Order: sequence, then C-alpha cells, then structure tokens
Amino acid sequence: MRATILGLGHHLPPEVDTVGVRRPIAVDPVGPSTLAVPAANQALAQAGLSVEAVDFIVFATMTPDVTFPGAGCFFQDQMGCATVGALDIRAQCAGFLFGLVIADQFVKAGVYAHILVIGAEVHSAGLDYSERGARLAALYGDGAGVAVIGRGDGNRGLRGAAIHTDGRHHDRFWCEYPASRQHPVRMTPENFREGRHFITMDIDAVRTFGEQSLPAVIAEALQAAEMSPEQIDRFIISHVLVDVAETVAKGLNVASSRLNIPGARHGHLTAAALPTALSEEVVAGTLGGGDTVCLAAAGAGFAWGAAVLTL
Amino acid sequence: MRNSRILGVGRYVPERVVTNDELAACMDTSDEWIQQRTGIRQRHFSDGWTGAADMGAEAAREALDRAGLRAEDIQCIVFATLSPDVDMPASACLLQHRLGVAGMPAFDVRNQCSGFLYGLAIADKFVKTATYDRVLLVGSEVHSTGIDLTNRGREVAVIFGDGAGAVVVGPEADARRGILSTHLHAEGKFAEKLWLESPASRSRPRLTEEMISGPDARIFPKMEGRYVFRHAVTRFPEVIREALGANGLTTRDLSLLIPHQANLRISQMVAMGLELSEDQVFNNIDRYGNTTAGSIPIALYEALEAGRIRDGGLLCLAAFGAGFTWASALIRW
Repeated sequence: MRATILGLGHHLPPEVDTVGVRRPIAVDPVGPSTLAVPAANQALAQAGLSVEAVDFIVFATMTPDVTFPGAGCFFQDQMGCATVGALDIRAQCAGFLFGLVIADQFVKAGVYAHILVIGAEVHSAGLDYSERGARLAALYGDGAGVAVIGRGDGNRGLRGAAIHTDGRHHDRFWCEYPASRQHPVRMTPENFREGRHFITMDIDAVRTFGEQSLPAVIAEALQAAEMSPEQIDRFIISHVLVDVAETVAKGLNVASSRLNIPGARHGHLTAAALPTALSEEVVAGTLGGGDTVCLAAAGAGFAWGAAVLTL
Repeated sequence: MRNSRILGVGRYVPERVVTNDELAACMDTSDEWIQQRTGIRQRHFSDGWTGAADMGAEAAREALDRAGLRAEDIQCIVFATLSPDVDMPASACLLQHRLGVAGMPAFDVRNQCSGFLYGLAIADKFVKTATYDRVLLVGSEVHSTGIDLTNRGREVAVIFGDGAGAVVVGPEADARRGILSTHLHAEGKFAEKLWLESPASRSRPRLTEEMISGPDARIFPKMEGRYVFRHAVTRFPEVIREALGANGLTTRDLSLLIPHQANLRISQMVAMGLELSEDQVFNNIDRYGNTTAGSIPIALYEALEAGRIRDGGLLCLAAFGAGFTWASALIRW
C-alpha cells in the first residue's frame, strides 16, 4: 500500500517590494501556522474531507510562530482539530520531504488515515533588511503549502523517496543564535548587536553541495520508484539559489515544459516551496490525476531529499 | 508488518549538581518550598560550551554500546529537544557531526515534554514499515542557559535541569513483544500556558533587544502552573488508559509506568488516580528536575539499571507538557 496526496493547498501573502525585489511577505504579524490555515482548508476541500477527518498533523518549518511550543500546536488550534497529535519537525529546506516520508510511515503502518503535512515559513520576520543583509534578504519569501496524505489506490501515491543529512556542514548555512550551548546565557544583547541572530550562508559551499546532492538524490528516488527521468511529467526543484536548480535541471536534460522552479517565482519558501509549487500547478490545471512528479530540495543542515509520486 | 523494540538505552547528565539551596542564594525560594511543590532536591547544569547535541552524543554512544552497534550502523537520527544548540539548523545535524557520521537523515522533533514519545512513535513506524533497521532517538536539553535565575523567573527556573537520554530502535521478531503502540495528542488552545515566546516569527521583527533584556524580556519560559497541573492530571491517566485499552490490557497488567518527570506531585496524583502501587511507578525527578525531552530516556535507563524492568514486563511511557501535547507508548519488554 502506498501513501498518496489526496489534496493540496497553498497560501502566499501579497507581494511587497523589500530590498528591490518583490516577494510574498506576511506584513501582518502572523506566524507560519496562520498562513497554513487557508492552505489546509483548500487541501481538505480538494480532498473532499472535513476538518474532523484529520487525525494527525506534521508541521515542517524553520521559522516557528514562537520558540516553543511548536507551530503545529498553534495551527491545530486555529484549524479546530480537537486533540489530534501535532508533530513539529526541523529539517530546513528539505522539511516538507522529511515530513512527507514521516507521514508515509504512519499511513503505511495503518496508524492514521488522513495526515496534514505542512510546510510553512515566515522568513520576513527574521531577515536582515539592512545593507549588510540585503543580498540574503532578497532571496526569501513567506508562504505555506499543505498536502493531505492518506491511503492510495491503484497507481496513485508515493513511489519512491530518499532523504539525507550531512551535519558536517551545519555552520555553512545557519542561524547561530539563540544558542543553548552558550553559557551562561544563550542570547545576550551583544550577540544581538552583532547580528548573530540572522542567517549567514557560505554561498559557494551551498551552491556546490546543491549541484552535487540534488542530481544524486533525484537518481536515488527515481531508482526507488523504478522509473526513468523520461517518465516524470514534472520536476519541481527547490534551492535557495535559483541557478542551482537550473543547473541541476540542465544536467537532467529536463526541458522547461517539464520543469518547475518555485524559487524563480516566489523567492525561497524553504519548507513551503514544494507543496506550494505542486498546489499551484493543480489549481492551474497543468498537473492532475495520473501525472507523476519528482520533488527535490536541498539546503541548510545540510539536509536534502527527493520524492517521486503519482497524483 | 514486523514489530520494533528498544535495542539499547544511554544517558548523560553534566557533572555539576545544583542544589535547591544554591538556587535560594540567587532568588527568593527555599529547599523546603521547592521540595514540597515539586519533589526536586537537585538538578544538573552544564557549563563551558555544551549544547543539547553535545550531551545527546554522549548518551547516544552509550545507547549504541549497549545495543552492540557502532555509529555507522545508524540509518536515521531523530532528535527531540526544545533547547537546540543553535537556532538553525536542527540539533540533529550537530549530533550527527559529533558522532562522526554523515548521510543518514537527521531531523529534530520539537514537541517539548512529549518530544521523546513523538520521536519514539516516528522511530517505531520507520522500523515497523521496514524503512530502517536502526533508528537513533535522542532527547536532550540544556535548560540552564535559557532560564531566568532571578525572582521574576523563579517559578519556572527551579523546575528545569539539563540532561540527555538516547535509545536505539530496531526490529523485533516476536510480534507479541516490543513497542506495542504509540498515542500522540495536542491541544494548541493552551499553547501560551507554558511557553517561550521569543524569537517569534509571528512578531515583526522576530527578535528585538527589548525581548532579550530588560523588564519585558521574552526569551525565558513562562508557565501558568495551575493550568498545567490541572490538565496534566487529566491527560496523563487518559493517554495511559488509551494505550492499555488499545491493546486489550488494564492497569493491573502494568509492570511499570515511567511518566515524564515534570513534577513529583503530578506523578503521584496520576498514580493514585490509576490506583497504581508504588512499585508500578518510576520517579527520579528528585535528582534531575525536569529535563523535558531527556526525562523519559534518563528514567528508562535508571529503571533498567535498578532492575525495575524485567523481560516480558509491560512498560508504559507517558508524557504531558507544553503545547499542550501529551503522548504514551506501551512496550512489552
């Protein structure tokens, strides 16, 4: 038995010009849980399910509403999902793929029938919009994408997936503070004034790793699915650097008609990128039942992954 | 579908012991008050440059050792914490690095006091579906760098301690043994009854200097103890009965309950409500305080060491905490 996507939804706030580029930005002070609510309602409607049918929540984000509890708890309350479990995971840019694989386990084990897998981010609250940070700030957008995962039938469902992490590179693309490892206090006013609570990225290392890891993990997922690249209707590739996704697609010989790079339209939506791009295509009618897609993402951690699934 | 079981357990607590009297030296509290309200006599605080992953790696090495495995044998790393080493990426990445391995997926579970059991539910399913044969699950917290050790923060500060525990989960051939079932819940309506607000991506910006220091600092945990207590003593018995009921068992079948060590008074009330005898419940909060995601594996380790868990015995792990989240797991050892 395969787990499958029963419905998809996404929500992007209106575009705002921040550092010379227009990006979806959540201007109202809301967290990712709030952006995810309309996306989840759209996904449930598409699946023909009511909120009561949801029996588990997997929330992937690196920009939670508050430090704790997790964004999943805030989301669960806004959705009115009674007392179902709300798991929060952190796997950065690959968060949605990690969440999808986790949801797949619970469905296969017969524990849950309908799981909401959410990727949602409000990056704008934590970006450095000063001259120093403008280059990185320009890369990101806010948004939420949601998939309802349940039991598949026939040809539908998750055919193959691969997820990986290499923690040796954790400090190449990170947000260091607050840091519980700093004694006696994990965040001082000095740390703040130094801007240590902003993301820093070794662009060369992140680019090189993306260009190496993405083709390899796509090949691995295809192999697990026992499919060739020619059988894939759409490659959706997410990376903080759009040119990395383009290079990877070129290497795979994927024509633009079979390629979707969400970062090129919205900026980097991190955990939200893949479900948002998939949902957009379903809404536009460019993807539908029976189409097979390959989702791939790589980023901070470093964490990366790919999944092949038939809608 | 095959079953799963815990192959090995490890624990690490930092050396430095902090007594109630030491806390009374920096805030208006007393050994008597703390013991009476919480049952805590002491806790451990880390120092130097020690994060949740550093302690978690020590616990993981011991768990691997006891399972007769090497770090290279791990196929997936699940890390439960609410006090990550750095803001991003996940502490699991740093743990993986400390263990000197790479390639297997490593991610964090952020489910507070229920984090270890949410992680156990995931590890269990990965093994049951035969996706992985060896999953490392770590629960670790460095609370000491994030609590307000002044009068303002005393209600929360006296409760928490640093510590780490780890288990390796793998396949079990006997379908009647191992992890029988897991049960996960949340009720986000009460998210702000026990929480740590900042940094908060719902604020604009998510962090300011005022949030870090000054009279309105929001980087420390806050708790409405009354609410937490009331819900804990309801949800604990409920989720324990849910686990037993799902397996056609009753409290009489239970060899040992290991509740998340939040507060001895909560554990005692839960035991009383379930009519469990003293030898059916394991508590060690007196020596460690509340180590959140670390508490259940640390207690599991000590219960094993003390010979409280025998082959074939029925073990229930249960947790309740911030979120609110609560969870249980039933294990035939």
